[in-house]
Amino acid sequence: MIGDGFVRVADAAEIPDPGKELVEADDRLLVLIHAGGSFYCIDDVCTHDGGTLGDGKLEGHALACARHGAQFDVRNGKPLTMPATQPAVVHEVKVDDGGVYVKINDI
Amino acid sequence: MSTATQQGFTQDTFDAFLATRDEQDWMRELRLEAWRSFQDLPMPSRKDEEWMRTDIRLLKLDQFGPPKGEVDKAAELPIPLLAEGVQLGGSAVSYNGQNVACDLAEKWDDKGVLFGSVEDIARESPDVVQRFFAQMAFDAHVDKFAALHGAFWSGGVMLFVPRGVVVDEPFHSFAVTSDGGVDMGHLLVVLEDGAEATFLNETTGVSPITAALHCGATELIVGPGANLRFVNLQNWGDRTWHFAHQKGVVQRDGALQWTIGALGSRLAKVNQHVALIGPHADCQVNGTMFAEGRQHLSYHTLQHHLAPSTHSDFLYKTALQDRSRTVWRGMIKVDPDGQQTDGYQRNDNLLLSSDARADSIPGLEIEADDVRCTHGATTGKVDEEQIFYAQCRGFTRKEATRAIVIGFFQQIFDRIPIESVREALGLAIAQRVREYE
Repeated sequence: MIGDGFVRVADAAEIPDPGKELVEADDRLLVLIHAGGSFYCIDDVCTHDGGTLGDGKLEGHALACARHGAQFDVRNGKPLTMPATQPAVVHEVKVDDGGVYVKINDI
Repeated sequence: MSTATQQGFTQDTFDAFLATRDEQDWMRELRLEAWRSFQDLPMPSRKDEEWMRTDIRLLKLDQFGPPKGEVDKAAELPIPLLAEGVQLGGSAVSYNGQNVACDLAEKWDDKGVLFGSVEDIARESPDVVQRFFAQMAFDAHVDKFAALHGAFWSGGVMLFVPRGVVVDEPFHSFAVTSDGGVDMGHLLVVLEDGAEATFLNETTGVSPITAALHCGATELIVGPGANLRFVNLQNWGDRTWHFAHQKGVVQRDGALQWTIGALGSRLAKVNQHVALIGPHADCQVNGTMFAEGRQHLSYHTLQHHLAPSTHSDFLYKTALQDRSRTVWRGMIKVDPDGQQTDGYQRNDNLLLSSDARADSIPGLEIEADDVRCTHGATTGKVDEEQIFYAQCRGFTRKEATRAIVIGFFQQIFDRIPIESVREALGLAIAQRVREYE
């Protein structure tokens, strides 16, 4: 039982480590990442040109945009490589009773 | 006020929808062909150049369906903006694609003008509708949404102005959707040789946050020497999906002035196409876009010069605030016969917040060797020096920003001859401007 604006988006067991899945919450598309034993959530939008991050390759905590290769740190959204220069939006994640919950960072 | 909607666009819902239509065989055949295309065509993919900046993965067509009608005509509709204080030659209102009111002034009726729902005119004057409907300015097979519209269109409005009739009172069409509603209105305007008319088209939701689906088409056919002024104010609710194919065809010595106000919808994907098919055909497009919140407005224009000595002038001005995004992709295409073409296109963007994003992609495709075609795009922020200057003269920051935004659009307003349109657009934009530090 979890509240405070958190929305259940997936079962924790469904996503291998390392792995990622595209999920929907609050009418937005998000990438849910399982890496290093923890879950992270990042907007499915590359800040370079709006490409989808969900199609990109995950290496460690770096998620690459499939279109031009910009990489983002899924823990904080920081851009790691060009051509992205602006951070991606990340969302708070909690795991409770086998479920993964996300709280939308509505900025 | 409610409109029953069957879920999804399936063979069953199409068959049920078709069974409710009292239409001639030729129209039925058009629907069947469009339905086959809808089934065959894939949903647009972000791998397609036209869709790579427009994400529709959250659109779930099975949450919508063909409208069944049953409209409460006594329900309260929003007040239209464009008709304020205007003596109209005719007016029409639709709700979820169902016509609920229509009126044509007797003096224009006496001169042979036809104005009303496409369905009604198809019953009363089938030859006129068959001659023009989806013949020159709408192709149901170009993509999934055109096919969806071709199969399920309902309601909409037709205006037909016969040869030489000059109508000096505007026509007004007002389309409204409810929450969860579907509008597939088809707009068909035909001016015969030497005719003149002004058409004001306005779309909105029952409330600013209405969630609905609009999948529409507009056909503007301007005959030889005819003159059409067409205004489209798109003000759908901000959770409405808006897809439209809009095309004007201008014949010899004809003139089309097309003004667009794009304000509403959560996501808009509009294809606006003007074909200049006769010598000395002329078209001016004035586009005004204002995006806010997380809106995504995507406009794809094509000015197609198929005949010699034609002229086109497209000017789109866009202001964006919050985390909104616009895509403007314009193309001037000149065919080998289009010698002495004079074509111009421009898109100016004003970013009111650092999180907004505007993509401008102008293009030229020229196959004639004696033409003048120019294009350009600019993107900038509000000039802090201008804000400071205004504040020194007693304006608040918000007042100063609003004045600068209105000034940005003034170039468009100056090109619009209809006072009610200028005022409605100016007011709608001014009300949207927020304060930014």
